[in-house]
Amino acid sequence: MRLSLSVFARHYLKSPLQAGGILVGIILAVTLLIGVRATNENAVRSYSEATELLSQRAQLLLTPLSGSKSLDESVYFTLRQAGIDRALAVLTDTVTDDTGQRWDIQASDLVAALSIQSQHQSQGQGSVEQEKLSLLSANIPLAKLLSGAPFILMSESFSAQVAPQGTMTLNGTQLDVISLEDELGLGNAILMDISLGQRLLNRTGELSYIALFGQAETLTKAVNQAFNEQSTQYFNFTPQDDGEGLTSLTRSFHLNLSAMSLLAFVVGLFIAYNGVRYSLLKRQKLLVQLQQQGVPQQALLLALLLELFTLVLIGSLLGFILGLQLSHWLQPMIALTLEQLYGARLMPGLWQWSWLYQAIGLTFLAALLACYPLFNHLAKQALARSASRFEQQSHGRKQQRKLFIIALILLAFAAVLFPLTQDYQHSLALLSLVTLAIPLLLPLVLQTGLSLVERVTPPGLWRYGVAESKELIAPLSLAMMAMLLALTANISMNTLVGSFEITLKQWLDDRLYADLYIRPPNDKMLETQLLLASLPNVSAIYGQWLHTSHYQNATVSLMTRDDHSLRNSNQIKAQSDNHWQALFNGEVLMISEPMAIKYQLNVGDSLTLAEFEKVSLPPMTIGAIFYDYGNPTGQIIVSQKTWEQLNLPIQPTSIAADYIGEISELESILQTQVSLSAAQLYNQSKIKQRAMQIFKRTFSITLVLNSLTLLVAAIGLFSGCLMLTQARQAPLARLYALGVSRSQLRALVSGQMLLIVLFTCLLALPTGALLGYLLINKVTLQAFGWSIAMVWDWQAYFRVLMVAMLVSAVAVILPLLWQTRRPLISSLQKEVL
Amino acid sequence: MRPLIWGLVLTLSLGGCFFDDSSSDTKQGMGQLLDGNTQGYAAVVPGKQLSFPADHQAHDDFRQEWWYLTANLETETGEQLGLQWTQFRIALAPPTTATEQKSALELELELDPDNAQESAWKTEQLYMSHTAVTTKNQHLATEKWSRGHPHFAGTQISPLTIKQDSWQWRSDDNQLFPATLFVTSNSFSYQLKLDSQAPFQLQGDNGYSQKNASGTVASYYYSQPFIKVNGTIELDGKSIRVSGEGWLDREWSSQFLAKTQQGWDWFALRLDDGSTLMLFQLRQNQSNKQHFYSGRRMYRDGRGYNIASKEISMTPTAWQQTPSGRYPVSWQIAIPSENIQLTTQALNVDSSMPLSIPYWEGPIKINGSHNGLGYMELTGY
Repeated sequence: MRLSLSVFARHYLKSPLQAGGILVGIILAVTLLIGVRATNENAVRSYSEATELLSQRAQLLLTPLSGSKSLDESVYFTLRQAGIDRALAVLTDTVTDDTGQRWDIQASDLVAALSIQSQHQSQGQGSVEQEKLSLLSANIPLAKLLSGAPFILMSESFSAQVAPQGTMTLNGTQLDVISLEDELGLGNAILMDISLGQRLLNRTGELSYIALFGQAETLTKAVNQAFNEQSTQYFNFTPQDDGEGLTSLTRSFHLNLSAMSLLAFVVGLFIAYNGVRYSLLKRQKLLVQLQQQGVPQQALLLALLLELFTLVLIGSLLGFILGLQLSHWLQPMIALTLEQLYGARLMPGLWQWSWLYQAIGLTFLAALLACYPLFNHLAKQALARSASRFEQQSHGRKQQRKLFIIALILLAFAAVLFPLTQDYQHSLALLSLVTLAIPLLLPLVLQTGLSLVERVTPPGLWRYGVAESKELIAPLSLAMMAMLLALTANISMNTLVGSFEITLKQWLDDRLYADLYIRPPNDKMLETQLLLASLPNVSAIYGQWLHTSHYQNATVSLMTRDDHSLRNSNQIKAQSDNHWQALFNGEVLMISEPMAIKYQLNVGDSLTLAEFEKVSLPPMTIGAIFYDYGNPTGQIIVSQKTWEQLNLPIQPTSIAADYIGEISELESILQTQVSLSAAQLYNQSKIKQRAMQIFKRTFSITLVLNSLTLLVAAIGLFSGCLMLTQARQAPLARLYALGVSRSQLRALVSGQMLLIVLFTCLLALPTGALLGYLLINKVTLQAFGWSIAMVWDWQAYFRVLMVAMLVSAVAVILPLLWQTRRPLISSLQKEVL
Repeated sequence: MRPLIWGLVLTLSLGGCFFDDSSSDTKQGMGQLLDGNTQGYAAVVPGKQLSFPADHQAHDDFRQEWWYLTANLETETGEQLGLQWTQFRIALAPPTTATEQKSALELELELDPDNAQESAWKTEQLYMSHTAVTTKNQHLATEKWSRGHPHFAGTQISPLTIKQDSWQWRSDDNQLFPATLFVTSNSFSYQLKLDSQAPFQLQGDNGYSQKNASGTVASYYYSQPFIKVNGTIELDGKSIRVSGEGWLDREWSSQFLAKTQQGWDWFALRLDDGSTLMLFQLRQNQSNKQHFYSGRRMYRDGRGYNIASKEISMTPTAWQQTPSGRYPVSWQIAIPSENIQLTTQALNVDSSMPLSIPYWEGPIKINGSHNGLGYMELTGY
């Protein structure tokens, strides 16, 4: 065995390209797997360890009563004086910078935040990365922060991104940025002391919530005692979960990422498998010779396995390192998405050795499953029969048919089961079957396609070329399969994202019918309404009322709008007969599509909420389901009449107006006459612009992963072509010796490759469409609750096609150029196969 | 005389840090808060006349200040018990410079009539309180931090109140005594009636207390070593009636320690002849240099005299390893000029305070030329 191992080692030393091919596959597979895994796990960990900024995880929040935006700060004073000192006052709001961009900021009682943090540490519960943090840390300049001076805190990486000069102008005030190490967990937050925050936001005496630390039950009791059991007059109790809420909210997002990384892993494995096969093919003679020399079969097989394991080990280790680096690049992208979409804050990344072991295990297992039959076949081949090309190929044809049949069975299986799935996880599993079936179709399709072309090609060099292409399918098929997979995934994702963008734009156009949306503070609401009513150019005033409620333990928004808005701002997916009449009569309600899908509710079903029971209103029938692409939580819309019956606040949460003339005119009137800040006014185009921005960010990660997969496949194709062209040096040299000119040879070889790639791309067209259809109509619908009309994007398809052609052209021409520089005789001597 | 923070300043300024021993170039923690530039703060000068009740209030123009109560108490069943309550004030910036540094933002906001009101959150004062209860078998210590804010922490003139959240010294009028001390924490709570008829004792030269031989650092310092205490302590779910004697120290300054001093051993002793004895040793960081000692013998009628540094000798006789350090928990004290020869023993040798600033503080018993009880504080170990 030692002999075989050293022989193999010499073999690879002689042809490093083969070892390189295998390694590249493994490295790419593991890189993407680890990169996405690290990103995902870190996000989930962040949810469960999410803390108040520079402090600890709160167990209980005291939040404003419904209908009001703030708590009075005296609540905080009462708590502290009652001895509930593990409490943190927090004020959050949105401000605009001088370019009009909006930023969420948080202001808290920093002394309380830090002292709660250090108490936690002294109890030995502090996490490693936060141990540096205390009230006395030199990097937190308390004197500046507490004095109300314009200083804000940010993490180093975020400040480098948004405030490289160290200052930021928010709400017209220039603020100095103090950057803290990323390990302190500020993420993408902008934090300041409350002494500055209240004045910057013009909200003196107000708090957004109070976070309490300790045991929720004990805290509730103590708080009730401090307020003489009258707590509910002042605030609501909101218990905090351990991140389960966010984890479940973002599950589908992470699942999508995982699915993409697995796809990339499979593509990488294809490349590695291709490499192993090629190197074995090259060593067929060698193996026979070794056996003829008396090396036992067992030893040979073991040596092959050991060789594979060594390659997997090296490849996985390199892939692991690259994967962590990849995750380092992906995380800021993910962090922004999650923060904007779900309000989740990500902490800096951690990684675990166990990922490496798992990656090695998984890769080795997959490689073993793929390669063992090959090894076995080679080790057991008859000694007398050395490499015979014919046998290889006839075996290949049989194989192609077998693969095709397996693919058909898989597709049929998926076709039967798909209509039955309700859960996106099942759909995703079926989708992976379809994904697996697609490349299996390829060899036979290529074979058949080329046979058809052969018939119409004139005899001579060109028919020879086409005929030879058929022989190339077997050695190239694996690289082509990987390419097909990547192309299909790319086309389907492009379709999904493109379709979604169009749907979202339309939805925004319908949903945002008013010119200006205004969210004045409570005490200015009436004044604003009166002012709007008095302005002659304001042609319409609309209102929206919002209340946060719970349905089956999940947060939902209960809302109503004025009748005109209700009728015109909702795209209805399904409705009962006479829905609008029934709605305005207070007989039915409407729910959003994501909510309907999540709880499998349909028109005609009924539902109830705690608010209904409070006023002994019976469960209400669902009269309609409306599309919603903007909210991560479910939405329930009732009529104004029902709203009044529910005894919910009469003052609207926000208002909107139509204006004849320049909208900036109305904005400045509101700013000067009711002194509303720019952050309280949202004009239609601004919202749309921002929504599309968030949308693009959300999908940027998907598109990046997609491009990476395509890149992996391109590298696979490149290495496949490279190996193949090298192997064909002898036949090509023979043709040259027979008088075919070099330029003809080049055209011939390029033509052959392009033909194969073209067929692959042709196949990618229907498969990409199929996958896109399933992604849109099954996975996305079930996972996010979004119906999207599928729009086919030819431009994107051709773009991908061009990339594939370009890569294969380069992959073919490079080795050809190298070859033509070599003396004819050395190429002729390379008779190997 | 309470050297806690002084010890810190010293240790920190030498590069060894209580809070973060990894950093020696950048000053961290209390060092950052207390050390360094005293510019802009009021200075401690000899000859200033202390006046009461005004000087019971916070002196925000000085850098540091504390109200420090220790008590040797006894339960109804005769069990010995020690109790400590301290409220520290630390200025983050001198009040005057903070106003000078008014930022563009503040000027701008103050121009806006809606924002003319000053935010109470805005402050230069940071407060820290410690409290501990010590029995033979138990030592519970806890701390809290907050900013200076009328609702959180600070002092109030009438009735005289010294408070941080729910920990409050509330006098009946604008004098320090009689008063009630309320403290509630997660591990224990207490409510003590405090009363004293004895005059205040001005330490050092009429309240000007020197902290090194050359007199370059000093503080304003007065004490009340004769306080009658009784009340109840909630401990382990039980309510225990206690009574005994307490001792209050009041001290403020802008610079407490010379750079060469590294720690502090302080004693408040009640001798069985009716007198009380305050003693401290400021240890030099270089062993060849002479430590600085100070002491004062005090009587209930207001009499008292200082004891010179050279008269005092203090020697540790036993050490105890605690989670926050190794401390000399037994001492031999000799003041030949006073005919005093004492040995001290801790009620509970594990009375270390594992707080933001670790130190040792607990009740002790004295034997020798005199018997009695007292309190001991050890810092900088």
